[in-house]
Amino acid sequence: MNWKIGVAIILASATVLMADGPKGTEPQLAASGYPAHTEVNGVAVGAVLLTAEQARRTFASDVNRCCLVVEVAVYPPKDKPLNVSLNDFVLRIKDANLAEKPSSAKVIAGSLQKKAKSDRDVTVSPSYGVTYQSGRGYDPVTGTTQGSGVTQTTGVLVGVGQRGPNPASTDKDRSAMEAELSEKGLPEGTASTPVAGYVYFPVSSKKNNAVQLEYKLGEEKVVLALP
Amino acid sequence: MRIAGFLLGFLFLLSTGAGAQTTTQPAASQTESATSQTAPKASSDVQKERDNSGADYGHKLHLRLGPVFLGAGYSRFSGPGYYPFGPYDSYSLGWGPPFWSPWGAYPFFAPGYFGYGSAKGEVRLSAEPKTAEVYLDHAFAGPADHLKNMWLEPGAYDLSVSAPGHEVFRQRIYVLSGKSLKITARLAAEPQLIEGKDKP
Repeated sequence: MNWKIGVAIILASATVLMADGPKGTEPQLAASGYPAHTEVNGVAVGAVLLTAEQARRTFASDVNRCCLVVEVAVYPPKDKPLNVSLNDFVLRIKDANLAEKPSSAKVIAGSLQKKAKSDRDVTVSPSYGVTYQSGRGYDPVTGTTQGSGVTQTTGVLVGVGQRGPNPASTDKDRSAMEAELSEKGLPEGTASTPVAGYVYFPVSSKKNNAVQLEYKLGEEKVVLALP
Repeated sequence: MRIAGFLLGFLFLLSTGAGAQTTTQPAASQTESATSQTAPKASSDVQKERDNSGADYGHKLHLRLGPVFLGAGYSRFSGPGYYPFGPYDSYSLGWGPPFWSPWGAYPFFAPGYFGYGSAKGEVRLSAEPKTAEVYLDHAFAGPADHLKNMWLEPGAYDLSVSAPGHEVFRQRIYVLSGKSLKITARLAAEPQLIEGKDKP
């Protein structure tokens, strides 16, 4: 019986090891590879704020609808593993006097699904018609006869709604978005090698706002001004 | 735009349906008309004419050809409308039974799996070479030139494209319903060993 328990333990361990967690992105060779970077107590941090276009190209999920996305890379010292947690990050928008903590992939995916569900597809199309009548015609309404001529009509066609569900609004979509945001997100936990990934802040995007990323590193606070 | 297309088509049918009708009309009345495009105003005119057609304002029974409308509209069908392996539109079976080959069993996708569905997302695959084999989640999906448009259930997939003598293209893709994802897989040729180069 003991060998069965052993096999079960091995299988369970293998399952845990193979479970898909956040993989993040490939970190640059050094923190200096990021537009904003600094080093405190041997820990180097690099970050870049994704533009709306970059976010659109990077994600299948429409993250621009809900948040600002920052790619963060953390480089721990060689012999000192570092605990990376999303709770240590804060995005501050100076002009708006606003500070936001990052949201989890699950929350962001739920938010995106909700927004997609509430979308309405409205189509407005102009229309124009020209009618030519030749000869003489009797108008039964007015009791008069009309000669030949051209009649012009203009109008607008308005269509509301669509046949199927809104794009990216189903529960399967939410799961897919959660998977994407989670897999590309900054891996949390103890890191002994450089890690990088995206951090999602539920802030509406506004141009020309000075944005800075704050990272709590023990007692220290790292501040990175994001260009 | 699709709705506009449907509406225009409907108006066109309505107008042509009103075209042939038996009514009474003065013999002097002979009308020819041509409309370049149907419009809401035009359609209401057609309806009005039909309503009044029964009025007794003449004495001679004859067949009158009503107005003929020439419609000009645009309608775009977002689905592929064509599947190289058969008419499997909106037909989805999921995973098929394992295919047994001399090298063992491996899963494959049932015919029509990649057909259009309203709750699916589109993957537009452009691969070079075109004869490359496409795998989704390690299951054979088909040759690349037959899978230019794949409609998949929302989810995350491991896409790989491979061809003999070329490096394998791998990408994790995320498919969302009603969205289109464009993938370009240009497979680089594998570096070839030149014989005699390293020999002394």
